Amino acid sequence: MKRGSKLGFAVVLVATLGALAAGCVASQGGGAAGSAAQKVYVKPGEKDAYYAFLSGGHHGNIYVYGMPSCRHITTIPVFTPEPAVGYGNDEESKAMLGGFTWGDAHHPGLSETDGDYDGRWLFINDMPNARIARIDLKDFKTKQIFGPIPNISAAHACPFPTPNTEYVFAASRFSVPVPNRDVKVEDYAKDFRGIVAGVKVDPKTGTMSLGFEIMMPPFDWDLSDAGKGPSLGWQFFTCYNSEMAYDSLEIKASQNEMDYFAAVDWRAAQKAVDEGKATMINGAPVLDPAKVTGIAYLIPVPKSPHGVDVDPSGQYVCCSGKLQAEVSVYSFAKIKAAIDAAKFEGEKMGVPTLKFEDCLEAKVPVGLGPLHTQFDNKGNGYTSLFLDSQIAKWKVGPPWNVEDKIDVYYSIGHLMASEGDTRHPTGDYVVALDKLSKDRYLNVGPTHPEAAQLIDLRGPKMELLYDFPTYLEPHYAQMIKAEKLHPITVYPLAENDKPGVIKRAEDARVERKGNRVDVYGLVVRTHFTPDVIKVNEGDEVYFHWTNLEQDDDIAHGFGILWSSKNMQIEPGETKTIHWTADKTGIRPFYCSNFCSALHQEMQGYLEVRPRGTPQAAVQRPDAKTIAEINALLAAR
Amino acid sequence: MSYLSGKFRPTERGLILFAAVVLLPVFFLPVFPIWHMHLRAPQYPEGLNLHIYTNTIRGDVDKINTLNHYVGMHAITATDFKEFSYMPQLLTLFGVLALLAGLTGRRWLALVGWLAFTGFAVYMFRDYVLWLYRYGHDLNPRAAIKLQVFTPPVIGFAKMANFKVWSYPGLGTWLLGIAWALGPIALLAERYGRRRAAAGAAVTGAAKA
Repeated sequence: MKRGSKLGFAVVLVATLGALAAGCVASQGGGAAGSAAQKVYVKPGEKDAYYAFLSGGHHGNIYVYGMPSCRHITTIPVFTPEPAVGYGNDEESKAMLGGFTWGDAHHPGLSETDGDYDGRWLFINDMPNARIARIDLKDFKTKQIFGPIPNISAAHACPFPTPNTEYVFAASRFSVPVPNRDVKVEDYAKDFRGIVAGVKVDPKTGTMSLGFEIMMPPFDWDLSDAGKGPSLGWQFFTCYNSEMAYDSLEIKASQNEMDYFAAVDWRAAQKAVDEGKATMINGAPVLDPAKVTGIAYLIPVPKSPHGVDVDPSGQYVCCSGKLQAEVSVYSFAKIKAAIDAAKFEGEKMGVPTLKFEDCLEAKVPVGLGPLHTQFDNKGNGYTSLFLDSQIAKWKVGPPWNVEDKIDVYYSIGHLMASEGDTRHPTGDYVVALDKLSKDRYLNVGPTHPEAAQLIDLRGPKMELLYDFPTYLEPHYAQMIKAEKLHPITVYPLAENDKPGVIKRAEDARVERKGNRVDVYGLVVRTHFTPDVIKVNEGDEVYFHWTNLEQDDDIAHGFGILWSSKNMQIEPGETKTIHWTADKTGIRPFYCSNFCSALHQEMQGYLEVRPRGTPQAAVQRPDAKTIAEINALLAAR
Repeated sequence: MSYLSGKFRPTERGLILFAAVVLLPVFFLPVFPIWHMHLRAPQYPEGLNLHIYTNTIRGDVDKINTLNHYVGMHAITATDFKEFSYMPQLLTLFGVLALLAGLTGRRWLALVGWLAFTGFAVYMFRDYVLWLYRYGHDLNPRAAIKLQVFTPPVIGFAKMANFKVWSYPGLGTWLLGIAWALGPIALLAERYGRRRAAAGAAVTGAAKA
């Protein structure tokens, strides 16, 4: 009896342990799928560890994702009007867009301090119109659009901030005559020039201004990265088409065994401009390397390179010749030694060229179509392989061997590792930014979305965690630890001194000067004050609405019927929108952003009378309305 | 009569001085809230707070007012409360009285001060309840949402529409309570001290006998 019960106990124990072990395996994700699912799962109510900023390509904006969940959180309008919030529709953002309604946004660049992301600003280029935008990460709003930068034609190698955000850069992808003028395309080599521009960033405000430009040979300047550590003070730019073809580039620009990357000493360039050595062309101080020496050098790179990426230590410059199967790694110490010894092979339009063998450190056989390299915190580089549709992981340093490869879907362009272009990459994730999605998601017809994959870098092998579609078309991205950003949630009303702001119902009014009408109004749950506005046909009406709310997420909209006029006003914000009273009659307006229980009641009427109808110079809401609104606003 | 015109011993004087020490700095600088109200709703998971001080109201006053206007409650504004213009001064006065009573040791002064303070506390609490009653009863008949009249919780918890409301005394009130309690404690201390002295005398007397 006793023995039997002991045996029974042992059986139960073994069974329990077995079950526990099985449970353990299951919970740790014995199957790859389970494990990956757990690694990207962010519980409802919890938040992601990283912000990822993906460029919107020819959509002209920035997509903000949370990582590792890969949830799309918001889209920041930058170069393209956005109708919901009224970006490009209200007067301030309309002026900032400068008449453009399109941009092609390629390379987001986070501001840095000491070579690490500081979470202050995000810069991004508009390639075709040679503009750079600065987004303030305090409110995720575009604050400045600088450009079109004179003489730059297609700012592709842009903006790639320096380690203390002293500069952002732009370089011409499609060379043109400088200054642009009446010439023949056939005179390309004689008259066309590339330009590298250094754009200064004010360390306090982030405001951009032009520092210098350098006249370069008319090659197609492609990508860039900033030197750091020992290479601090230098900016690198790759180019293709050193053949200087102006037609059939597909063939003609792929003939040379070697193209180049340029090393630009931006301190020396700025000094030369400050010493008055530049020539003003279209308002830009342009340096000619034939006359001003010591500012730029060319280093040969095999086969039409794309990426030029400086490793976290700042010792190595890694170039990817897209028509070969290797990453060429250069030692900055060797480059510097060759420059100091003036060991030049020749020159191109005044820019000295160094010898390939003098600068090369290693060749890493990563695979076909290498484009771009990012880094982790364990001394590894990760290179995207466009043709192989893979990412190769390789050792930065001897023996310079490839350690791992992973498939991506399909035709990867850039890749982006967590803080992977800084001095201290976190080594958690890399995101593959693919050019083709083909069959990866539910079919939505011929306009396929783009594809992206989140890959875990923490194990010895890369592990695919998640596959998600993106809208057209992320080129490059940046991923920053969420704890580094502290955005505001409302605009402090007390600090609002925008033109057109009012904060009391007594100040709400409609002012008329000739046919210009200014409406100074308040929006607050759930009124427009004033909500009956009398104008005449042909009046140019400027609405200045101030949102008096100070509560999170209580934005109000202002949309006018039968018009394209709509905008959103955030808590504490004042925005101005212009509308022409085009037709006699009644024109309702309403709150277009759902705000509260009585949102449907938040509306008003524009009474448009025939031209010349006598109207008061100043209309104010009646005393009863003011009293009612004030009762509501008493505490403010 | 002779008891009232007499003086406290150093122990009781110390306790009364301690009450003064508690009262004076707190209400010269009204930094400790005397009452809190904490509100929660599904869309306010972080909650909304009202912090009532002797001279003002702080916290999410604007947010709460904006919500309250739907049910027609008066906007809460610091300027509506004349209490804020005399509460800090009166409390300071009680502190000065306690200081004087402690320094001189005069029993009558301490008693007058304590009784006035007690009366004041009762009055202010009643006043607070009245304010809450008024906010919940004097509703604008034109309000969008018609509510049954109500009184927000004076102390404790209540559920009102989509809000859960907690109401509880703040650090200022706790300190006031300690200062107030030092009155009876001083009297008890004196009685206990006297009884022990009497017992001591009896023992001494017995020993002498």
